[in-house]
Amino acid sequence: MRKITFTIKRFDGNKDWLQRYDLPYENGKTLLWALTKIREEQDPTLNFTSACRHAICGSCAIRVNGNSFLTCKTALDEILDTFKTDDLKCEPLGNFDVVRDLVIDWKPKLEKMKVVKPWIIPKESGSPTTGFKQSEQEFQKIASPTDCILCGICASECTQLAMNQEGYLEPFILNRAYRFAVDSRDGAPEEHIRPVLENDLWKCVHCMQCVSQCPKDINLSAEVAYLRQETMKMGETQNLGARHAYAFHDDVKNKGRLNEMTLPMKTEGVVKTAMKRVPFALRMISKGKINPLHMPKEVEGIAGVRKIYEYAKGVDQP
Amino acid sequence: MKYGFFPGCTLESAAEELMISTKKVASALGIELIELEGWTCCGASHIQDVDDFLGVAVNARNIALGEKFDAPILTVCNTCTLMLRTAKDRLDHDENLKDKVNEGLQQANLEYRGTSEVTHLLWALIRDYGLENLRKKVKRPLTGLKVANFYGCHIVRPPKIMGFENHMNPQSMEMVAEVLGAESVEFDQRLACCGFHAVFPAEKEVMGMTRINCLSPKAAGADCLVTPCPLCQMQLDMYQPDAQKGCDENITMPILHLPQLIGLALGFEPEELAINRHIMDAIPTLKKTLTFA
Amino acid sequence: MLQYDIVIVGAGGAGMMAALNASKEEDLKVAVISKIYPTRSHTGAAQGGINAAMKNRDSTDSTEKHFRDTVKGSDFLADQDAVEFFTSNMPDIIKELDYFGVPFSRDENGNVAQRPFGGASSPRTCYSADKTGHVILHALYEQCLKQDVVFLDEWFLLSLAVENGKLEGLVAMDMKTGDIHPIQAKAVVLATGGFGRIYWSRTTNAINMTGDGTAACFEVGIPLKDPEFVQFHPTGLASTGVLLSEACRGEGGYLLNKDGERFMQRYAPEKMELGPRDLVSRSIETEIKEGRGFGEEMGSYVLMDLRHLGEKKIMERLPQVRELAMEFEGVDLIKEPVPIRPSCHYMMGGIHVTDFKTCSTPIEGIHAAGECSSVSIHGANRLGGNSVADVVLFGKYAGLGARESAMKRTFGTTTKMEVEVEKWKSQFATMRKKNTGNNIFEIRNKMAETMWYNVGIFRTENEMAEALQVIDQLLEEYKDTYIGDASVRYNMAFINYVEVGNLLKLAKAVVIGALNRKESRGSHSRGDYPERNDQKFLKHTLIYMENDQFRLEYLPVRITKYQPEERKY
Repeated sequence: MRKITFTIKRFDGNKDWLQRYDLPYENGKTLLWALTKIREEQDPTLNFTSACRHAICGSCAIRVNGNSFLTCKTALDEILDTFKTDDLKCEPLGNFDVVRDLVIDWKPKLEKMKVVKPWIIPKESGSPTTGFKQSEQEFQKIASPTDCILCGICASECTQLAMNQEGYLEPFILNRAYRFAVDSRDGAPEEHIRPVLENDLWKCVHCMQCVSQCPKDINLSAEVAYLRQETMKMGETQNLGARHAYAFHDDVKNKGRLNEMTLPMKTEGVVKTAMKRVPFALRMISKGKINPLHMPKEVEGIAGVRKIYEYAKGVDQP
Repeated sequence: MKYGFFPGCTLESAAEELMISTKKVASALGIELIELEGWTCCGASHIQDVDDFLGVAVNARNIALGEKFDAPILTVCNTCTLMLRTAKDRLDHDENLKDKVNEGLQQANLEYRGTSEVTHLLWALIRDYGLENLRKKVKRPLTGLKVANFYGCHIVRPPKIMGFENHMNPQSMEMVAEVLGAESVEFDQRLACCGFHAVFPAEKEVMGMTRINCLSPKAAGADCLVTPCPLCQMQLDMYQPDAQKGCDENITMPILHLPQLIGLALGFEPEELAINRHIMDAIPTLKKTLTFA
Repeated sequence: MLQYDIVIVGAGGAGMMAALNASKEEDLKVAVISKIYPTRSHTGAAQGGINAAMKNRDSTDSTEKHFRDTVKGSDFLADQDAVEFFTSNMPDIIKELDYFGVPFSRDENGNVAQRPFGGASSPRTCYSADKTGHVILHALYEQCLKQDVVFLDEWFLLSLAVENGKLEGLVAMDMKTGDIHPIQAKAVVLATGGFGRIYWSRTTNAINMTGDGTAACFEVGIPLKDPEFVQFHPTGLASTGVLLSEACRGEGGYLLNKDGERFMQRYAPEKMELGPRDLVSRSIETEIKEGRGFGEEMGSYVLMDLRHLGEKKIMERLPQVRELAMEFEGVDLIKEPVPIRPSCHYMMGGIHVTDFKTCSTPIEGIHAAGECSSVSIHGANRLGGNSVADVVLFGKYAGLGARESAMKRTFGTTTKMEVEVEKWKSQFATMRKKNTGNNIFEIRNKMAETMWYNVGIFRTENEMAEALQVIDQLLEEYKDTYIGDASVRYNMAFINYVEVGNLLKLAKAVVIGALNRKESRGSHSRGDYPERNDQKFLKHTLIYMENDQFRLEYLPVRITKYQPEERKY
């Protein structure tokens, strides 16, 4: 009979270990079914959390073979097919403290979330006794971001967070900030956005893990772009990230292509670049990797590119 | 086989060697690459941070240039592929956006129609060219060479836009390596991010990532790391000396761009593929298992 | 010793509404304990909407009509003064929720959108696509964060401490450490949700809906009101029981038998699929019984067909429903009808609330709100869209009521609390060591099976008498069970053990209530007594537990405006 092997990372508060469980394969089951079966039939000491079992409470996310899943809605067959193996390694979500086995500690994350004021700061046009008017289009802007169930999958897979637990915010926190910043009923978007900027917003590495793994298909990377745009509208254009983005923006307008020689100067400033990047540049030049004399010419049709830039200025952003 | 070729800025300036190797390999395989005339930077995941609409419009223009040929658009850069495909996906699913963008393109006498696919050399080899055809072209099987396939983010993620293969367990690189005769090693960072896009604002973190990205294949016994993305190649190669600083362990790991690995198997000499221009010298390692003239 | 003026148990819609209102002025110390993180609460699973006569879609709607519909839906068992209070305050609550940032779907005028729902004479169910409970739960949590409400997350209620009829506080376990704490309180609000898990897997309920607060009240002598009234939601997914929102029928879904017939024609010729839940559930089961369903035995089902609504409407109004059907039944309801069957959904009965304006119970200082309680506004059958409404409205008044209690009362003795703490500590120690006895999961599964087959949608004397014997037997077996986990830290096996104990007690109350109600009313449908009997049973059941003995009393229904009449749809 076909057996599925679950190697589960256990933790008892002091030590961790890997424990192996074999389960006879059954067709059409979920990951949560497997964990429950192990717990009820093989090992009552195995701990994990789950509640609603239909992907709305956000309790049951774990990591399997290096990716994060809601166990309740993930078909075992799908996982086996994805990884082409009958050996599954289960771990608690990454970038969280572990309480026991697959159970993680949310408390510090929820405390951390408060930094972006994750609550509506109501506009004066509304009141507790009248509510608000909001158009269907305005509602559509918050429809997807309010799908977030705080399952933690985005945080588990976030590349920047793994390197920078203290400084960076979990993608679900960015989503909360975004959700209020775009709500037509909120009167102070900046109060949600500024803390995001101050917590390394520009350090997102654009790895697309959050947006790829989110079980609710929330477009987190587009939200990061929006938050960055807004910080620049708030006048925050002189930080490394903003200057770097503008360097690209301007190069395309000027020549159509990037000038990789001047890029660091535009981002970091001439002095810093001179001090810091000289050995780097010399390394490149000596290998013939870059030619300091290469200056990109204007591309064919640059006038058209500039017209598109002009035109874009007048377009209402979504 | 004919493609509208979108080289991307990296191949044109900071990593000219990758342009050289890409063109040599394409020509040896009989793949015709017609460079799009007047292509611009794809925005490299940055323009949308300034202006979302502009990010789409610039790439609509790039795709429109490609639509003039009756052929798909091909890149050898993950990020270019993602940027072009993201624009295409949005334009093809949002009539209103498409109309607005076309109003802008009209001023440059262009129109986005949505007729050209956007693909990457890796996908084209598998889907269009055929691995068996590639196998026939191999002159110097890479027997004994242990490669670490480092996919880079933007060739697999987000799956909704990229969609060529399962983003959690892609196999295309392994399939190509197998055809070339190389051995793929398993390593933790296979699907990790190189960090290139945030190397300025997040230097410390990205250097840390580079360190891990080199140590992981090293621990797995890889001779070199190969990536389908010139940005990953640059990040892991150019910044490797900086990443080495402050790390007691030797992280040295030669980094190749996918066309270079293919080129070696097609019989080119490392110098012909400009492998000698990399910061981390790959040639001594290659010589251990491969024979050169 | 931990000491709070008010402790709220449960952090779903009712608990958080109570917390917000109890702690509005900073003069009182308030804490919320919850066995799961607040946003995991089952309020979030409510899909279709929340009823309030806003008149946004139908200007002829009124709180009076909502009142009448609710009373009729309840099969006249609801207390009418409470229902009137409820329906007349609901529109204000929606505005308050709007102000809290709840992302309601909107109509073309920018007002909160409304849709038709079963048993309602006007389209008055406010909604946010099909995730209404989810967005309300999160908005309330956000408001709690804003107000700095103190949450003791992953704390599990073990028991209430009442000495000489006076509330002392409660005893709870900090699950992360395994420490058992007494918490002294002047007032307590129970908001722990329903106990649909007495049917274990044949329910739409989350796995932790085990009635802990209801059982704790039951233990200290507060009676359970009307526990026999169990709502079976008509449209559970056939294979898992996962809920597909009433919004499916609200938006116009058809129910079809194997002959392709819209069988609701036979049972509710006017309202058709929009009949109330009890009626639609019985209709489905009747079709299956009479051989017009698909499949066999436990695998029987009928179909719900939404295809005629078209892709656009489905994607806009029922996106989550579509996902659920795809993920859990493998059906894309844009293209195919989905197999469904009734599944235990809601407990109309619960902790006996004596004053709906404060949600107080017979013991001073103990308040209750939401599904754990029975006010009673749902009577013998709750209307769809009235549960989230109940939760936020009575959660609010329970919070305010607890404030009043806390202002009036002083901290009392701690005698009983100390006894309870010692009892639980020794219980925990014993269970951690014990390695032999009856299998706890077998006890649980036997209970569920018995309840489903013998005390399910259709009930008879003999079957229920048998169920009572089985439950009694299981209560005996429960005394000698084991959990198999010696850990102090995060010992879910122990928590689950206590939960099963709670379920068993509550299941027994359901059976006793049902056995003694020799009539059919609302969700309680007896084959041997098919008619409603107002002469004998227009009254609430009250069940007391005294030293493991269950005692039955009845209480008159408060009728103000609507005299019982035949219920036709």
